[in-house]
Amino acid sequence: MGERGRGGCCPPMDLMRSEPMQLVQIIIPVESANLSISYLGDVGLIQFKDLNVEKSPFQRTYATQIKRCGEMARKLRFFRDQMSKAGLSPQARSLTQPVHSLDDLEAGEFFHSAMSNAEAHQTEYSSNQGGEESLETPLLSEPEVTTFDSTKQVKLGFITGLVPREKSMAFERILFRATRGNVFLKQAAVDERVIDPVSGEKVEKNVFAVFFSGERAKNKILKICEAFGANRYAFNEDLGKQAQLITETSSRLSELKTTIDAGLVHRGNLLQIIGEQFEEWNFLARKEKSIYHTLNMLSIDVTRKCLVAEGWSPVFASKQIQDALHRATHDSNSQVDAIFQVLQTREMPPTYFRTNKFTTAFQEIVDAYGIAKYQEANPGVFTIVTFPFLFAVMFGDWGHGICLLLATLFFIIREKKLSSQKLGDIMEMTFGGRYVILLMALFSIYTGLIYNEFFSVPFELFARSAYVCRDPLCRDSTTVGLIKEGDTYPFGVDPAWHGTRSELPFLNSLKMKMSILLGVSQMNLGIILSYFNARFFKNNLNTWFQFIPQMIFLNSLFGYLSVLIIIKWCTGSKADLYHVMIYMFLSPTDELGENQLFPGQKTVQLVLLLLALVSVPWMLFPKPFLLKREHNRHHGDSYEPLPGTDESLQSDVNHNSHGHEEFEFSEVFVHQLIHTIEFVLGAVSNTASYLRLWALSLAHSELSSVFYEKVLLLAWGYNNVIILIVGLIVFIFATVGVLLVMETLSAFLHALRLHWVEFQNKFYEGDGYKFYPFSFATLDYEEE
Amino acid sequence: MGFLVTTLIFVAVGIIASLCARICCNRGPSANLLHLTLVITATVCCWMMWAIVYLAQMNPLVVPILNETE
Repeated sequence: MGERGRGGCCPPMDLMRSEPMQLVQIIIPVESANLSISYLGDVGLIQFKDLNVEKSPFQRTYATQIKRCGEMARKLRFFRDQMSKAGLSPQARSLTQPVHSLDDLEAGEFFHSAMSNAEAHQTEYSSNQGGEESLETPLLSEPEVTTFDSTKQVKLGFITGLVPREKSMAFERILFRATRGNVFLKQAAVDERVIDPVSGEKVEKNVFAVFFSGERAKNKILKICEAFGANRYAFNEDLGKQAQLITETSSRLSELKTTIDAGLVHRGNLLQIIGEQFEEWNFLARKEKSIYHTLNMLSIDVTRKCLVAEGWSPVFASKQIQDALHRATHDSNSQVDAIFQVLQTREMPPTYFRTNKFTTAFQEIVDAYGIAKYQEANPGVFTIVTFPFLFAVMFGDWGHGICLLLATLFFIIREKKLSSQKLGDIMEMTFGGRYVILLMALFSIYTGLIYNEFFSVPFELFARSAYVCRDPLCRDSTTVGLIKEGDTYPFGVDPAWHGTRSELPFLNSLKMKMSILLGVSQMNLGIILSYFNARFFKNNLNTWFQFIPQMIFLNSLFGYLSVLIIIKWCTGSKADLYHVMIYMFLSPTDELGENQLFPGQKTVQLVLLLLALVSVPWMLFPKPFLLKREHNRHHGDSYEPLPGTDESLQSDVNHNSHGHEEFEFSEVFVHQLIHTIEFVLGAVSNTASYLRLWALSLAHSELSSVFYEKVLLLAWGYNNVIILIVGLIVFIFATVGVLLVMETLSAFLHALRLHWVEFQNKFYEGDGYKFYPFSFATLDYEEE
Repeated sequence: MGFLVTTLIFVAVGIIASLCARICCNRGPSANLLHLTLVITATVCCWMMWAIVYLAQMNPLVVPILNETE
């Protein structure tokens, strides 16, 4: 596999090493602190260290401001609730990015306007509430009409009111029982829904009038009314007064109606305006909050005149950060410029890869295993190609590849639209990996062409099949088989193999050997990358006592096997490779006999075996001893210049920096022992592990041929349209469900494993930590 | 078309692809090196795949034996 040198001749490769980082210290005057942090958040390339770890959230400098932000956020949530209650564009996402006004919108001004808006809105709303409450009294006008006739001149007491409709039946029954039938109840449904004064919700109600005689009955009825939540309304007995009441209430009604309408319109307008700016405000509130959270991480000077920030930033961002600080000083009319300086440290910097939308998904595949150690070789570079390639080796079928390609093209074409909207979990994942799937699909089409399978059907695309019958009558084609005549099929598997009895033995042998060849290549690539790591970190020990013996060990066994495989193919020898490999260990001095593939094979094997045997102690012993010697030398050096007496501070510093480098020989040795054993055993088991390429590709092609033959061809054979359609539907569902979804998943997982374990364990430490810059760009995705 | 000819075609395709990557998305030497690495890795992978299958069929030890039903 391709490997590019990264010597002095070439520029540093993107993505190969994480960005060089530096620990920076920024001293910001208090008056420009907020703006500085805000601008740094826009730049988004600095990860602040928390310098106040020991302080609780309440002890921090800007605790009150954070509380204010929390309060603001609460108000915004109230607006959102109101908007959703009003059903009024609850998420009026302003498509124009809010950034345009953020710069000129002063924080204070914003708070003020938002607060006053909140108050105005609240008063407005409560007045509406009040209005709607009083709306209920006028509803009396209806019951009057209905009950008026029935009152006549009888001297009876009566109560009128409203009762919730679902309770009306029970209400009637209880009334009847309580008064032993000495009551007259009349109910009528109110057409419109009425707002209940207690709950504030609109409910269906019945208006009722109860006629009774006697004081006791009245008390009973009143209690029942109370129990049923029926609102009673006074009703005058005098007819004249009733008429007066009607006109009065109807005039009040219309008056209130206009007030309410005006109020509603006003409220609607207000919410509309809020809705337009809501997202902006929300973003601003969250931004302010994050700024104060960051400010809280800075340590404040004793004079309380300036804040001291420490954080990691990529080296290339120094200019941008300084510019941002400068702008902040200028914009906040501060007299003093912020001071930006780079600190020296022995701490391990965070790992930061500058990825684009194409490489992000691949980098995430690597990151899911472990974040790269600072500046170590990034497997992500090769993963971009080898991951989809190994996937395709297991998923080789160009029909399925095209389906996958169409699906992912759908995502890529609608990328802009889809990235702005919220998707489901699975969709989100698929969408995030769209470029991975694109490459997977392209490589599957390629390997499908190599395997010569289109939904398991072969095509003679590139030439005529190389196999012909032995004689014109094709008599022994089913016993002895066809014969190869002329050139080998130029591209991929010969179509003649499809459906023959010897197809499986042939494909198994081919795919098994291919897996080993691909695996050995990829493992070699991994070991070569460990060399580039050793060279990058100037670690000669690793080059001489790790890289070289590892290369020798792997290649003298499995490299040799690969060479044997190729020689066997080229010469058409009938040698048994298993036998050769096994007896290479068991009795290396025996004659090979008919298993000899090339002259002098025995000597070569002896040499290789010796090399492999030598390389094991080579890996194991020298490194720990050399490390010990080196450490002893350093130890001697470092204690020489120390005066040893008064300078307690210096010795303290020295102790700190050397403290964790306490050399434990046994520990180092055991570590090396484990590493060696792991590599030696791993060489065998990893090679075997690559056989999953064979297994999965076999499973895939067998499954697809089963679906094709046992479903589609069988249905075709019946010569019946309905059966054909059913067969077609079953075929499509099986293809999509089993082959396109499940097989994709399983091949994906196996490719993932081959990269994480078999490839990355050759060189990848993966014990770094990720760079999380303080950035407003990522603010959107948090919360919610 | 022998082994060497097709290999040369692969090499040519690889070179053309790297040139295309160089011309179409020239984003500074570091990015170009990454693109070159990707193109070369992809070409080598594809070539290996093809070469393996081709070599395996060059001197067949087993030949296709047709099914009796066919």
